[in-house]
Amino acid sequence: MTEIVMPRLSDSMEEGTILKWLKADGDAVARGEPLAEIETDKATLTYESDAAGVLKIVAEAGDTLPIGSVIAHLDGDDGASTKAAAKPEAEPQPDEEQAAPAQPTTEAPPQPDAQADPSADSAPATPAEPPRPAAPPAGRREGRVKASPLARRLAREHGLDLQLVTGTGPGGRIVKSDIEQAAKHPPAPAPAETPAAPEAAAAPASTGAAAAPASPPTAVTETGTAKGDVTVQELTRVQGLIARRMAESRATIPTFELRTEIDMDACVALRAELKALGGDAPSYNDMVVKASALALREFPRANGSYRDGRFELYGRINVGVAVAATDALVVPTVFDADRKSLREIARETRALAERVRTQAVTPPELSGGTFTVSNLGMYGVTDFTAVINPPQAAILAVGALARRAVVGDDGELVARHTMSVTLACDHRILYGADAAEFLARIRALLERPLALAFS
Amino acid sequence: MRYREALNAALREEMERDPDVLLMGEDIGVFNGAFKVTAGLLDEFGERRVRDTPISENTIVGMGVGAAMTGLRPVVELMTINFSLLAMDQIVNHAASIRYMFGGQVKVPLVVRMPQGAGHQLGPTHSHSWEALYLHVPGLLVAVPTTAADAKGLLKSAIRDDNPVVFIEHEYLYGQRGEVPDDEDFTVRFGEAAIRREGSDVTIVGISRMALTAARAAKTLSEEHGIESEIIDPRTLRPLDLDTILTSVRKTNRLVIVEEGWPHGGVGANLAALVQEQAFDDLDAPIQRVTGADVPMPYSKPLEQIAFPHEPQVIDAVVATFKDRP
Repeated sequence: MTEIVMPRLSDSMEEGTILKWLKADGDAVARGEPLAEIETDKATLTYESDAAGVLKIVAEAGDTLPIGSVIAHLDGDDGASTKAAAKPEAEPQPDEEQAAPAQPTTEAPPQPDAQADPSADSAPATPAEPPRPAAPPAGRREGRVKASPLARRLAREHGLDLQLVTGTGPGGRIVKSDIEQAAKHPPAPAPAETPAAPEAAAAPASTGAAAAPASPPTAVTETGTAKGDVTVQELTRVQGLIARRMAESRATIPTFELRTEIDMDACVALRAELKALGGDAPSYNDMVVKASALALREFPRANGSYRDGRFELYGRINVGVAVAATDALVVPTVFDADRKSLREIARETRALAERVRTQAVTPPELSGGTFTVSNLGMYGVTDFTAVINPPQAAILAVGALARRAVVGDDGELVARHTMSVTLACDHRILYGADAAEFLARIRALLERPLALAFS
Repeated sequence: MRYREALNAALREEMERDPDVLLMGEDIGVFNGAFKVTAGLLDEFGERRVRDTPISENTIVGMGVGAAMTGLRPVVELMTINFSLLAMDQIVNHAASIRYMFGGQVKVPLVVRMPQGAGHQLGPTHSHSWEALYLHVPGLLVAVPTTAADAKGLLKSAIRDDNPVVFIEHEYLYGQRGEVPDDEDFTVRFGEAAIRREGSDVTIVGISRMALTAARAAKTLSEEHGIESEIIDPRTLRPLDLDTILTSVRKTNRLVIVEEGWPHGGVGANLAALVQEQAFDDLDAPIQRVTGADVPMPYSKPLEQIAFPHEPQVIDAVVATFKDRP
């Protein structure tokens, strides 16, 4: 029998919620089969079985448990071997059986039957094969994962957590084919939003965990109040996290905002030229990301954090791009944005946004940001203030680009493409003048955008 | 044409082409060479250009160094690479270094030809493989031809090169046949590896005779294990065509290096270091080396046979990059 425990699916994960069992109690489960959908603080992941056997569910859907807690058992024919693999030294008998024929001191031709259990009655001609590593232990593995350099690189590129990949190479090493296999069944393709209302009707409080829904539990708890019927929705973990982080941001960060208008005519022209060159032209937001990244290089504190009475300045410039997701807001990260070309940034943000929409985005892709760009321009918002994503020092809110009347150099009215941006800053690390210079640098880069195209 | 005949043709063509080319060595004239590589050349070119020498390796190479410094293009034959240890001072301290010591004012266009390789029950003093020793020395070029065509093309390039070249032949290969272009302008450039077989699953670098051993192993690996090997014969170790090897490793993600010499400080040890430095993130398995045994070459036939690599060791090493050894 194998214990299946709540796996660690991200670095920061402390507990997880079982959204849905993908196998029923009593089902036979093969190694590698999807077992359950588990929601962490960062994403929803499909957890695959590391062992085979008959499933005995311990934790119900809807339960939130710390990592390491038992969520199910796997029972079955090969149960013994899986357990032996999990605890190599727990079962002395098989070891003795294996060892006996090899002992030179054993009398004459060793008779395995003599001490074997009744099941081993089919006259073995040769000593049994040496114990092979059976199924790997269920749940997360401890310590360093054995993986080839290539597999590590590919896992990074696919955003896969090696802890969740089963190695089939020599000594259980994770090799390229394992990553390709895992990438084909990405651990995150989360439920394409459960459409139905029926299961949403069950109140988790009253029914225990019986019909626990995958989507946020919803219940009508009061009728006919002055506000009409009251529908209560439990938060998903991501929503809970957003609520906590945003409140923490507003409550603890002394924020001030700086706003400026940027003349985007040159960017409009640049984009038109890039478009004419073919391929996917970068969006204006990609240009803002790139300009911010280049400016961050010159303003290390803007690329830092105020933490526990100290400044932390970061060596990499990783720009988060806020993306609206189903019922949530996530900020995938463009790592080393200062060193990537506009086209690379464009390609990457497009792919990340798509992965957010299909809920395939993975925790590593959502962490590590040192600065954030939030853009509501596409909704026609002219300007707004964004909430700093702690512990970052600042966030840039980008409004709609439009042709507007501007007073030209000679005092005449001209139509120019302009865009309003608002920089919200943590005054504990970024002071007024610094922030103003930083913002001016972003503006300068966008108003003369050749530097964006060539660096 | 046999490998030894290809070498003979290369010597003849270069001697005809350039009157400055001359040969020196033990028994190369009247006796036609211990391995018959110089057969007929004494009759053709006379004693001035084909010189039999006393058994005195350091002196022969020293004469070669001096002749090369005066503008001649001597080709010195040593009976086996094992005896070249007696000439180490001339090869390493002089041939390799003189151009540097003289600030580039003097060139040493010398070729030292010598065979190596085990399998003839000649014991430790005649059977070792020492390409790694010469690869170690800056200032020397090192060639290790496997095929008859490469033997000819590389020897012609070596003679025309202004640097001292250690030209390592193989006793087993002397009798091997292969297609050889008879074009007098045919040469093989130093620093260009040959891909002997294309494959997608594992790269095998075979040095000298081991390129043939690897090719035989590749056949079995394909037929019995479904593993398609890409066989690379570097042909010259210095300069080394690392690009071809890296390109292949980036495709197959696995590397096995097969050499006849000893494991410690060997060609494979060096190549493994270079590949992991430059293609670490492309490796899907530890680089495997198949080398000669870490012992002086035994005289006993069965012991000698297991002291240098054959197909089964190559197959084992390749399979071990895919799964646990049984």
